[in-house]
Amino acid sequence: MALGSAGSRTLRFQLGCYGLVLPTLALLGVFTFTPMIWAFSKSLTRYEIGEDPEWVGVSNYREYLSDPTFLASFANMLFLTAFAVLVRLIVPLTVAKLIISLRSERHRHFYRILFLVPIVIPGVATQLIWRTLVYEQSGLVNRFLGAVGLAAWQHGWLTDPRTALWAIAFIGFPFVGGFEVLIYYAGLATIPESVNDSARIDGATGARKFLMIDVPMVLSQIRLIVALTVIAGVQGFESILILTKGQPGFRTMVPGLWLYFNGFSFQRMGYACAIGVILFVVIATLTALNLRYLRSTEEVQA
Amino acid sequence: MYRRSSQLAIHAVLLSLAALTFLPFVFVVNGSLRSNEEMYDSFFGVPAAFKQIVTGEASEIAIKTGEPPAETLTKGYKLGWQVLRRYTLNSIIVSVATAILVVVVGSATAYALSRYRFFGSKVIFAVILSTMMVPGILTLVPSYLLVRWLGLLDTRWVLILPYLAGGQVFAIFVFRSFFAGLPEELFESARIDGAGHFSIYCNIVMPLSLPVISVVAVMNILATWNNFLWPFVTISEDELQVVSSGLYVMISTQVGQNLSTMHASYVLASIPLLVLFAYATKPFVRGVTTGALKA
Repeated sequence: MALGSAGSRTLRFQLGCYGLVLPTLALLGVFTFTPMIWAFSKSLTRYEIGEDPEWVGVSNYREYLSDPTFLASFANMLFLTAFAVLVRLIVPLTVAKLIISLRSERHRHFYRILFLVPIVIPGVATQLIWRTLVYEQSGLVNRFLGAVGLAAWQHGWLTDPRTALWAIAFIGFPFVGGFEVLIYYAGLATIPESVNDSARIDGATGARKFLMIDVPMVLSQIRLIVALTVIAGVQGFESILILTKGQPGFRTMVPGLWLYFNGFSFQRMGYACAIGVILFVVIATLTALNLRYLRSTEEVQA
Repeated sequence: MYRRSSQLAIHAVLLSLAALTFLPFVFVVNGSLRSNEEMYDSFFGVPAAFKQIVTGEASEIAIKTGEPPAETLTKGYKLGWQVLRRYTLNSIIVSVATAILVVVVGSATAYALSRYRFFGSKVIFAVILSTMMVPGILTLVPSYLLVRWLGLLDTRWVLILPYLAGGQVFAIFVFRSFFAGLPEELFESARIDGAGHFSIYCNIVMPLSLPVISVVAVMNILATWNNFLWPFVTISEDELQVVSSGLYVMISTQVGQNLSTMHASYVLASIPLLVLFAYATKPFVRGVTTGALKA
């Protein structure tokens, strides 16, 4: 890293530097660190808006561990996260491998851009489209089943307790995320030609070469996507808020959504903060486990 | 190595995956051009108004309502745009203001941190980066309490300021590594000529950084435009509603019962970013690959 020489390190320049970083630090202090501290301090209180917070110690945490949603919501979160990790691992990596196997650079470019296009559609729009157009009683899935003679299978995918969680998991089918494709593609593109050549000489081709050579070579990208998917999976609840609100029963409830309801519907701010702290601990633990792997990916993205 | 048959097979697989990915959106665009009666009547099928324009043959519904085909095609869009126009304008104001501020604030901090060593500079950078580890779910409720306490609810600042605080971190990260790679001679000679921070920043750093500025700005707009939850909990006044939360509000109102209008609204809501994407494909692609770092 280049640094100013002795002449530049005058008092005026030094003070100027503090002036330059001041807006950043002020913004972080107010809008990031204050809420962070409040999350912990308010989690120890009973707090409704308009009333003074009342100190209750760890009772919010104790209550949450015996909350009727606790087990169900963590199980649902685990299922959705595991499912997301699996599909985001397999599908985009396969697609990236297929794209990079194309001979023409123009074609490769075309597909990379094509699969990226859906990111212009607001997430809310996608979720509302799946709720109304795809899963509705008279929606795409049921119409399709009717058309191929499986009318007996038609039902309300989001309202039937047996299928609701799977329906949530299947939003975004066939899971070709343009973002993930680009990351994996970047990883595959860095595999040196010498590796490919020696693999060919050793007779490794097709699926065998993909599993034995390519996958280990993009391990850092895989770890990165897994980490991002896990973090998003533990705290994500927007799609569930939009599609089912956690229903039927608590069949699609997740901890994040319960936090949201407690904070914004039931006015239980302290309790919501406690759930947030618990999720933070879960994420921090998982991130710590991944930190070693994340560091090893840095050179690829820079 | 490249066999023609296997190349064709790859194209076939990729194109079918793309078709499946885009299928719901094809139905959305198609539905946006049809009337509600038409959609209830038959789920599949091209817009009757199209057929009427091409073949001159009016559908039963069109004969019954006596509506001209051009009217049927555009009705959903007209009704949707009446509501979305204000939301779109609000989204543009918030996203553009945030992006500009993120570039200015982020690059100023990155300039100081990358080109100078001053007391505490390493700690400051570590503190800034550490905020990437703070998950949104931890601070959602306390952030709401904070902006409420600050009296920012139902103002544009309730979106811009937290977006700026969060968005600047990624910007600082990207700017810092770019600025650190600039040759020191440039800065040295400018300082010898008596240039201060401001003139170095404006005359040397900014002109060299245009590509990286576009990456930061595009990624920032993408993030703020798509944010649903924060505007949903902090903006209740319709006048200030943005596109993402506005769509959700819209579907639970009278307008939301109109399928054709909602379909058209999804299309309208996607157009601004589609335009941005078309004009700034390169920064988009670069940003997505760099964006991977924001773990």
